[in-house]
This record gives sequence, C-alpha cells and structure tokens, in this order.
Amino acid sequence: MKQKTPLLRNSGLQTLISSLFCIILGLLIGYLALLVINAEGAWTAITNVIKNYMTYPTAPARMKYLGTTLAKTAPLLMCSLSVLFAYKAGLFNIGVAGQYTLGAAASLFCALNLGLPWYVCLLAAIVIGAISAAICGALRAFCNVNVVISGIMLNWISLYSTNVLLQTVKESTGKDTIRLVKQHADSILPTLGMDKWFSNNQYVTIGIPIAILVAVLVWVILEKTKLGYELKATGNNLNAAKYCGMKENSNIILTMIISGALAGLGAALYYLSDIEPWNVNSSSVPGMGFNGIAAAFLGGLSPIGSIFSSYFIQHITLGGGYVDLSHYCAQISDLISAMIIYLCGFVLFFKTFINGRLDKHEEKRAHKAQALEAAQNTEGGKK
Amino acid sequence: MVLLLQYTLIFASVLLLVALGGCVSEHSGVINLGLEGIMVMGALGGALVMRFVPYSSATAGFGERILMFLLVFLASVALGMLFSMLLAVASVSFKADQTIVGTAMNLLGTALATVVVKSMNTAINPNDHSSEISYIEPKKAFLSNIGKFELNWFVVVAVVMLVICFIMLYKTRFGLRLRACGEHPQAADSVGINVYKMRYLGVLISGFLGGLGGITYITAGVSVWKFENGVAGFGFLALAVMIFGAWHPFKIAGAAVLFGMFRALGNVYNGIGFLKDLKIPSAVYLMLPYIVSLIVLAFTSKNSKAPKAEGIPYDKGQR
Amino acid sequence: MENQYAIEMLNITKRFPGIIANDNITLQLRKGEIHALLGENGAGKSTLMSVLFGLYQPEEGIIKKDGEVVKINDPNDANRLGIGMVHQHFKLVECFSVLDNIILGVEPTTAGGILQKDEARKKVIELSEQYGLQVDPDAIIEDITVGMQQRTEILKMLYRDNEILIFDEPTAVLTPQEIEELMQIMKNLAAEGKSILFISHKLNEIMEVADRCSVLRKGKYIGTVDICNTTKEELSRMMVGRDVEFVVHKEPAKPGDVVLDVQGLTVASKTHPKDAVRDVSFKVRRGEIVCIAGIDGNGQTELVYGLSGLEPAKHGTITMCDKNITKMPIRKRSVMGMSHIPEDRHKHGLVLDYSLENNIVLQRYFEPEFTNPMGFLKKGNIRKYAERLIETYDVRSGQGPITMARAMSGGNQQKAIIAREIDKDPELLIAVQPTRGLDVGAIEFIHKQIVAQRDAGKAVLLVSLELDEVMSLSDRILVMYEGEIVGELDPKKTTVEELGLYMAGAKRTEVQ
Repeated sequence: MKQKTPLLRNSGLQTLISSLFCIILGLLIGYLALLVINAEGAWTAITNVIKNYMTYPTAPARMKYLGTTLAKTAPLLMCSLSVLFAYKAGLFNIGVAGQYTLGAAASLFCALNLGLPWYVCLLAAIVIGAISAAICGALRAFCNVNVVISGIMLNWISLYSTNVLLQTVKESTGKDTIRLVKQHADSILPTLGMDKWFSNNQYVTIGIPIAILVAVLVWVILEKTKLGYELKATGNNLNAAKYCGMKENSNIILTMIISGALAGLGAALYYLSDIEPWNVNSSSVPGMGFNGIAAAFLGGLSPIGSIFSSYFIQHITLGGGYVDLSHYCAQISDLISAMIIYLCGFVLFFKTFINGRLDKHEEKRAHKAQALEAAQNTEGGKK
Repeated sequence: MVLLLQYTLIFASVLLLVALGGCVSEHSGVINLGLEGIMVMGALGGALVMRFVPYSSATAGFGERILMFLLVFLASVALGMLFSMLLAVASVSFKADQTIVGTAMNLLGTALATVVVKSMNTAINPNDHSSEISYIEPKKAFLSNIGKFELNWFVVVAVVMLVICFIMLYKTRFGLRLRACGEHPQAADSVGINVYKMRYLGVLISGFLGGLGGITYITAGVSVWKFENGVAGFGFLALAVMIFGAWHPFKIAGAAVLFGMFRALGNVYNGIGFLKDLKIPSAVYLMLPYIVSLIVLAFTSKNSKAPKAEGIPYDKGQR
Repeated sequence: MENQYAIEMLNITKRFPGIIANDNITLQLRKGEIHALLGENGAGKSTLMSVLFGLYQPEEGIIKKDGEVVKINDPNDANRLGIGMVHQHFKLVECFSVLDNIILGVEPTTAGGILQKDEARKKVIELSEQYGLQVDPDAIIEDITVGMQQRTEILKMLYRDNEILIFDEPTAVLTPQEIEELMQIMKNLAAEGKSILFISHKLNEIMEVADRCSVLRKGKYIGTVDICNTTKEELSRMMVGRDVEFVVHKEPAKPGDVVLDVQGLTVASKTHPKDAVRDVSFKVRRGEIVCIAGIDGNGQTELVYGLSGLEPAKHGTITMCDKNITKMPIRKRSVMGMSHIPEDRHKHGLVLDYSLENNIVLQRYFEPEFTNPMGFLKKGNIRKYAERLIETYDVRSGQGPITMARAMSGGNQQKAIIAREIDKDPELLIAVQPTRGLDVGAIEFIHKQIVAQRDAGKAVLLVSLELDEVMSLSDRILVMYEGEIVGELDPKKTTVEELGLYMAGAKRTEVQ
C-alpha cells in the first residue's frame, strides 16, 4: 500500500522553511539591536540593510551596485561551497578563511610581483589553497588532530605569512597592495562585456559565471559520482567506509584538497577583479571565509541552495554599509550573519520537531481510520 | 628577562583560565568551541566597568583598588556566563551541533562587542567610529610592582582557579557527578543525576573562566583594546593547551606556561640580545604559538584522553 | 492481611508513535521470590522496565509498592522506593574506581560537598563479605573482569539498601561457570529477603533459578506460571507463540579444500599494551562452519579485524585461496571473495543516513555494473539490483529501496547486510554475532542462510557468544581465551560444561 506523503515531509521544503525561519529571526534580532542603540532610526536602518543597492534612487546606479554585490557574491559562494563540500565528508573546514587568505596572497603575488596572466594567478591561488587545506586533512587523517583547531591555527599562520609576502608588492605609501590596474592589468579577470550590463561596473567579471558553474559542478560530484558516494559515506560513517574498503584517510585528504582549492579560487575571483587591495597590516583574516560558513548552512548544505544563500548573506553584508553611520555601524550585518549561523544549529531540532508533529498527526488519523473501519465491520456483521 | 617572565606568566594565566574553562565544560560532556566569543564578552564586561567607573590611580587607596578589581572581575564573569548560556541552551536543551554553535558564538561575540562599543563611542562623540576602549588609569588598580616585576592580580586569580578547579573536579561530589556526565551520561542518569543540569553547570563554569580569561588577556601588556580584533585565536590556543594537558588541571597549567612563553616571545624578543640579533621578522614571532600548537597537537592527539561522551548530545529517550 | 507483593505493575499500557510497546501488561513480584520476565527481543521487556524506573510514563495502568499506589516520575523515585537494576549494558563509568561507581549519586560528603570515602569503603567491604561479592573497591573499572563489573553493579544496589533487585539479561556476558556463580548469588539474595526480577530469554537459566515466570510477546501479556509446574517447551511456546525448533537442521559437513589458512596471527590491542590476538593458527575449509567461541572481549573482535584488514597483523600470515593476503588492503580482500558480516551493524555495517539501495551496493558500487568509466554512478542499475535483493531476502522497509537505513528495524537492517554479503558470492563468509538482538523468526532465517552457504561449498567462519548458536550451527568449534585459541572441539562430542571450562581458561589443549 502506498500512501501519499504530506508535502511537509519533503526534506528540501523543510530545509527551505527552516532557512527562512533563520533569516527572519536573524533580521529580527538585528532590528532589536538597532532599536536598543537608537530607536528612532532603527526601522530605516534595518530596511537599508535589506535594500542594499535598492537604496539608490536611479536604475543605473542600482544596476551598478547590484553588479558589485554579485561580484562579491562569487567569492562568498566559493567559500560556502568549500565549507559544505568538506562538511558532507564529515569535516568542519573552519580553515576556509585561512585558505582564502593564502589564495589572496598567491594571486596578488603572482599578478603584481611576477606579472603573470590572470589564469596562472587563478591556478596559483587554487594550488596554495589546496595545499594548505591538505595539511589540515593530513593532520586529521594521520594524527587525529581536530580540524577545527588546526584550521584556526592555520588561519593565523596564513594571515601573518600573507602579510609578510605581500609587503613586497605594497604601495610605497600606505598599507595596501598596489592596484592591479596600475601595475599589471593583464592579471585582471576578463569581463567578456558583462560590465556593460551593469552600468560599466568593471568588477563584474567572468568570476560570477565561473562561481555558478563550479556550484553546479560540486552538486554533480556530490550527487552523481562515485567520488561523491565515497566522500559522503566517509562523512556519515567513517568506520563503515573503512569496512567496505574505501581509503578513508586519502578520502579525508582529498576532500580537504578540493575544499581548499575552492576557497583559494574564491580569493582569486575576488582579488583578481581588482575590487579591493590587500591590507598588509591586517590583524584578522577576511570575514569572507566565516560568512561562507553562514552561507553553507543557510543554503541547507546544498550547492544550489548555496548560490541563493551566498547572495543573501553578501546582500545584507553590503547592506550594512547603508545604515546611518552617525548612529549605527556596518558590523550590524556581521551580527545578523553570526546570529543566522547560530540559528542554523537548531535546524536539525526544527526538522525533528516537524517530523514528530507529522508522526503524531498521522497516528491519530490512523487510529480514527481504524476505529471507523471497526465500526463499519460490526455494522456489516449485523446486516 | 624579567619582562619575559612577566609576559609568560600573564599569557600563561590567560591560557590556563580559558583552558580550565574548556576542561570543565568537556568533562561535563560539551565541547566548547565558543570560548573565543566568551573571552570577547568577558573582556567587554571588564572594559566597560573600567571605562565608566570613575577611578584615579593617584588618589585611590587600597580599598578602592580592591573595589575596582572586584567590579571588573564580576562584570567579566557575568558577561562570560551570560554568553555561555547560548551554548548551553543550544547544545544541551536543543541538541544542536556543538561545532556550528561554537563557531557562531565566536563570530557573534566579536560582532556584538564591536557593535556595542562602536555605538557607545558614536553616541558619546558622533565623530568617533572606533571600536576601542581605553583603560590606562583603572587598569593600574590591579597591577602591583614587585621591584621591576609588574604583577597583574589576575595571575593570582588564575592560580587560585587552578587549585579550585582541581579540588572541584576530583575531590567533591559535584566533580564526581560532572565527570560521570561527560564519561557515561546514561550511567549518571541511571543513578538519578540530572545530566542536563550538570551540563548546564559545566558550560556556565566555562563561561565564568572564559570571561576571566578574556579580561586578563586585554589587560596583558596593553591599555587600549580594539574589539573588532577579537582575541586573536586565544580561545582555540587554550583548547590546544587543554588537549596537550590531557584534560587534567595541573598538566594544563604546565602546558599553559609553555605556550605562554612562546606567545610572550613575540612581545619581548626585541629586549633579548641574541633574539634581536637573529633579525627574524616579527611576523614569525606572532605565528610561533600557532605553529607550536599545531606541532604539539600532531603528537598528542593520537591517544586522546578526552571524556568519552563529549560532543554527543544526551537524549533521555535514547538508551 | 499483610500484602504479599513487593511491587505490582497493573494493566500498564505504553504507546509510541506507530507501535504499542506495552499493551495492558500486569506484573506482580512477590516478596523474597525470584521472578523471571521472559520475552523475545522487542517483546516490550525494556519498555516495561523503563516505565518502572520512571523513564517513561505509561498511558494507562498503575504501579503499587507494598500495596500502596505510587507515582514514579524518574529514576530517583524508583531509587527511593528501593528499586535497583543491573542493566544489560553496565552503567559504569569506565575510568572511575569501583568505589566511585558505587557511591555515584549517593555520595557521602562533608557539609561543603567534599567527598568522604572512608566510611563508604567500609560499608562496601562489609556488603561484599556478607553476600560473597568479591571486589577491590579501589580498582578502576576498565581494568577489571566483566564478572567483577557485574558484582560492582550488584553492590551498587545493595549499597543503596534496595529491596527489589532487577537483573536485565545478566548472563549474556558471563561464562557458564560465572553464570553458575551468579545464580547462587541471586538465590542468596532472595534468601536474605530481597525480591528479584530476572529478565531473560534463556529458558535453561529461568528453569534453574526462578520461582515464577511472566511471559510477554509482541507487547502483550501472555501469562504467569509457576516454574515447578511448567516445562521449557511450554515457556518457549508462550514466548514465541508457536513451537520452536531448538536445533538447526543440517546435513553432516563435507569439508573440501582449505580456503582460509591463518598461521601465527598476532594483532595488537587498541587499549592494552598486551596483544589482543596472540599467535593464532587455524584453517577453514569449503563446506564447513567453523565457530570461534569465547566470552566477549577475548580477542574475537580483533581476530576478525585482522582477517578483514580493519587492523594490521603484527605477526603471522593469512592465506586465502592460496594467496597471501596478510598485507592486502580491505577492498582487495573483499573483491577476492571475502564477505564480512560485521559485529556491530551500526558502527561498520551500514551508513545509517544512506538509503537502503545505497547500502546494498556498499561493497560493489565501484564495479562496472554500478559505475561507468567516467566515475558516474549508474543509478538505474543500483535500483534494479537493490530491488532484486530486497525481494530475494525479504528485507522489509517503509519505502523500499529509498528508505533511510536509520528508519529500518534492526532485524531488517541485519537482513540487508546479510543479503549484501551473501549475494557477493564469496569464497569465505565471516559472520560475527549475526543474530545479536534479533527475534526468533529473524534468527531462524539467518541460521538457514548460513547453513545454505556452507552447503553451497563456501567456507564459513562464525564468531558467536551465544552457546546455543555455537553448539547447533558449527561443524568445528575453536575456543578463544585471552587472545589465544585454547581448544578445538567437536560440537557433537562435547558438552556446554566442557566448552565453558575452555572459555573460562580453566582447560586447554594444544591445537594442531
């Protein structure tokens, strides 16, 4: 007997509902924080966060800043893919921020110091990200080191190394690296004319389509291939993976290599669009990696979901810049993102809760149906 | 050399306090990856007290110094514990993934502290958009000079906490029950111990100690703190110290001194002749504690003495 | 008139989503008696006990203590009423001492909460002398024998002055001699006026020690009988609902070529400096079932890990089908014809968050039938293959091949593993406790499959802790004790008692 399963049983829909729930609650808490700081302008501030580029009055300006948001979404999407790919294999790659940092170092160094074309710079960033993550993976596989702790340690090591390395390509005055457009424009990612669509926003490069393509690729790897089958099995049950002869240690390292490569690529997509230089006095790793964690979980750990969640996180992060700075600060967006990650921790509970309610509901219905059947049977017997 | 000792002691105290916090929490069965965020909040609490309670080192008597110290202590502890409730509620009551929640708390701690300090600064002076709090004067309340050596009272607090933690974990009824919850919660439950309550307490104590670690960290060597920077991975270094110290208070203390020394080198290498002559870039010294901890973890993680049930949410229904 | 019952559970009903775990069950325990509670796995025994301990609240029914209705909300209430239990899986903190485990929850302290262990130690020593329960109060649990751990559990109850003692499947982990000892202890306790509830599915033990027996089946109460007026056969009929064959029907074995040849195998231990398997040698031939018998924890697990490649061999050689496989990776051994039904189906056997079909191809997903040369999975073939196995081996689940393994019952999970391992058409089948925790129907099915494999000319290595299974299924028995094979026995010529002496290390003969 096949029963129609209720729509709410669909795990994709449950994920969507819980993500929306996280977003609404996160924004609400952000709003409350704004209210506490200054009640008068709080509503305008939160709507500005949500509006982001829509706060501009003219359409061309809006398009231009939509372009900027998209350009900054591409690296975030890569970071979130990096996080979710590792997470599917049971590894929490918090080191994504450090791998991203090293990616920035490699791409900018290759571009500014060695004067290499963009695709070589891109490759360099991918390789260095992969190597750094492989260290994490190897420590986990052979020495049983917790990836979260080793990831954080590598984040700091990466940050200081990057600062040292990029000292060599710094502007003579100030703390920033030289802009690519001044030094070596060949290293900038091609725009393929897409900049025209966004009011000549030169930061709209092939980075955006590349990121989306990679997201689809990651989905295919995870869902359709033997590799994905093995990695997910390793993530779900390491012992079972070992038992059936998967090479669990090389799988862990391979996962981290791919994850790190994605993070490195993300950094290249950002810094090779010349949208921002690197500050060689940075005292913390860029927030992109940590926002990647938020986007990965908010996207329900699905590569396709990540495309949307990355956009959303980037959207409100930039939206934070539009609050009235005489009362508030842009970090209100960080607060909202952090809150969203926190709430994502409850998603499992939320799903269990929905399923529990559905179970109870179904049981009640089954009872009723049974009782009805019994009643009909006795009646039938009388006749 | 006195300076090296002084900095080693203060950084070791930070690591010791926070690692003890992690240790108590893990003995109760909850992995606390949110220590970094707890430290930031503890630091914020103490810094706010120092910012707003009037104090002048020139006129203050001993009683006022004690009062200032107590207020700072209480504010740090209170905010640390309050913030740790985020972990307790999520991971104990709602069985959330402790890694996600811990990570979120670290980001949240820094973001929240930044927002609070920035809006406070902006409210006081509309042109001030910094996330800094300065506490040069009030900090002197709990510094004592012994010859050339400057003793931060929180170093003493750390030593006291070490002894208290040891007694609490291994000599009291509470400690026995707490450790039972981290090793075998079903066994604890079967003899009528409330596992949820013990885990809440374990996390709260780690909030207490993490908060103290936070205020100690920002009063180590500096008198101005920029809250955007968080606490530079010290919460995670403390976890490395805890693993190296095999979840035992005294071994943790030893590990903390070792790590504290590597961190202190970054502050004082310029004053040590032969290190200065090596002309190693300062970034290397900054990286040193993290590199050392990676190496140490690589050698000590294989045979982990971690509490057996840590990280696994306890569910009464599942036996 | 004085009430004759220590505890009464009257008309208890407890429902869970989808099932009625306890359906109108009544259990009355007299003072000073040993009362057996008999039922298969899944009959509702554990649920009933959880109700008694306040872990679950029943929808209907009441509990009476000494004739008074009582309300039990949590284990503390049960404790206060003097009810104590030795759980099947001991509730002992492994890194604590015996004494710490005994006092946990009722610790004597000073006013400041500092532990005062001296008096407690004295009381424990007194109790252990009074009831003949020999333990060392300061030993650490992970260092002592299972028997001593069980005595610690019993002392835990006595230390709390419990009057009603519940033993949940207490003999599963003991040697026949230790079981004998436990039976004596239980009789002593009853003679001292304690009331004992003995939960078991082993009829022999119930017949030996109990005064009365209550039987549950599929959540329903079947009845209570006096042991002196009943027989083993009647009890088993009550338990299963039909006549059960105690013997497995099989023809005499016709051993052929050697398939597995183990020489001097040594496997290191993860927890102890001493090796878990020491210098073990044996052979398994086509068409025979060789059984490794022994008490849990004597190196059987590690022996299988060594054979399957989950742990490396320290010394010695393993030869399968005339090939040296000692250093061969797990996958290669499997492809060469080794199938392995693992001891712990949740730890090794299944990826619980994978669908049934994905679990069914776990050993074969990489074959050209299921993966194309580009590395893409052939989902259609996987579905077809899974559907065939589900049909052939009668694996039941809610949604067929797409059911999550987690959502399946234990018996069907085990059937899926057995289907997967047998359908590989192996040369050698290693089955480790293949029937653990299953009901009689599933056990019969699995036994038949194993015998069928033998008759098809496969070599079968069976590791089992259940003596009945060992005696009825095997063609040869090898007994393991402390990592060594201490004897080879012919099941037709030996007795359970003799087997027990080997298992306890009291007797040994040189093998080969």
